[in-house]
Amino acid sequence: MELTEDIIRLQREVEAFARERLGGSGVERDREGVFWRDGWTACGEAGILGIPVPTACGGRGAGLLATIVAMETLGRNVDDLGLLFALNAHLWAGVIPIVRFGSETQRRRWLPTLLDGRSVAGHGATEPDAGSDVFSMTTSARRDGEDWILDGTKSFVANGPVADVLIVYATTDPALGEAGIASFLVPRETPGLSCSPPLDKAGLRSAPSGTVSMEGCRIPADGLLAKPGDGAACFNCSMEWERGAILAMHVGRMEKQLDDAIRFARERRQFGRPIGAFQSVANRIVDMKIRIETSRPLVHRIGRLKDEGRQAMMEAAIAKLHVSEAAVQSSLDAVQIMGSRGYLREGLVERDLRDALGARIYSGTNEMQRVLVARLLGLPSSLPARGPGDRPA
Amino acid sequence: MNEPADDADGIRAAVREHLLSDVLVGEDPENLTDDLPLRTSGVIDSMGVIRLTGFLEARFSIRIEAHETGVENTDTVDAIVSFVESKLAG
Repeated sequence: MELTEDIIRLQREVEAFARERLGGSGVERDREGVFWRDGWTACGEAGILGIPVPTACGGRGAGLLATIVAMETLGRNVDDLGLLFALNAHLWAGVIPIVRFGSETQRRRWLPTLLDGRSVAGHGATEPDAGSDVFSMTTSARRDGEDWILDGTKSFVANGPVADVLIVYATTDPALGEAGIASFLVPRETPGLSCSPPLDKAGLRSAPSGTVSMEGCRIPADGLLAKPGDGAACFNCSMEWERGAILAMHVGRMEKQLDDAIRFARERRQFGRPIGAFQSVANRIVDMKIRIETSRPLVHRIGRLKDEGRQAMMEAAIAKLHVSEAAVQSSLDAVQIMGSRGYLREGLVERDLRDALGARIYSGTNEMQRVLVARLLGLPSSLPARGPGDRPA
Repeated sequence: MNEPADDADGIRAAVREHLLSDVLVGEDPENLTDDLPLRTSGVIDSMGVIRLTGFLEARFSIRIEAHETGVENTDTVDAIVSFVESKLAG
């Protein structure tokens, strides 16, 4: 389907912005694992963080498809995918839950600085023993008068080391399972909250993730984002949007890899001819092109569905699974085509490969995406079935 | 077979049919009482809720937002029926 004039205009705007403000390879930031604060600020100033947010909430109200196209454009034109990952984590696990579940007071308090780049949102759901089985979390929230007291540890907290506010999921009653989950807006300066230095990851190294500990963190009543019983819906909502949009940057990146691979295969000569003349090289490039053409419609479809107010949970899981696998394979192909040059840090494609590997894990592992699709197709859960007679007394 | 009307009884019949065929396969229908806790007893998890809301959207031509799919609106047949009635009332 064709993109609207408005989206094409946005695409051009984002491309021009990326070239002007987000240039440079970022190899040093990748090596040192440093967050690109100036790049973040520039994105805020340019309105990138407000693209999917309704105008009533201070955003640009352009919708999810427009945002997906913008992320695709950034992925093609910005080498620092860590920055783009941080932007996505901020938007889908931070901003959108506030837009969809937050009160007017919460929106007024947090959204202005989250949209203009002055603040960063982090996402605290995963725990050391609750990864794919995220709703088995043990971080607890208990009432103390009007306040809530949070205790627990969150691991792999996206943006944690640089976040000004964290969206934290906690159980208010472990006996209720996921029906007892709530979510909270936890300011960074909350007494009892501490965050580790950035974790030393293989890829997306400029996107800081850390371990957040909470010991007796007192959260006032207006810090409750999704009330007990709504937390799972809040989490699934953010994951539905995230899985749809975060992979768009990899679609853009695959396009950049394709352009570079074609250029290299036309210029690099061996045995008296360009290496692109050899089928073993050409076939890899053709497969890279096919992956782009099969990936883009999947992510765009999610944007169209969500913009129509429809569910896209299964479509998001399918897109996440397909695009992340495509990104890994195309990165491997790009490294192989460029040979020893592709293996060097300065060649950038080795970083693409490290970054792409993360995509098979974050936002739910690809194994879990298959579980989700199976469940949403109506196949039985692998967990023990519970019937009316199994309910707790 | 005609589909049940979109009044409370019709909604209840449709919801019960969905739950018995999708979640409680093989269960004696009499055990699915209108006040049986579905979410808080673990009979339905959040994936089951997504299938339920997908069914309700298609069957009753309504749009259900994520923030409307919490326990309050989905824990019992009674709650689901009331929720759908409120959506149909606009």
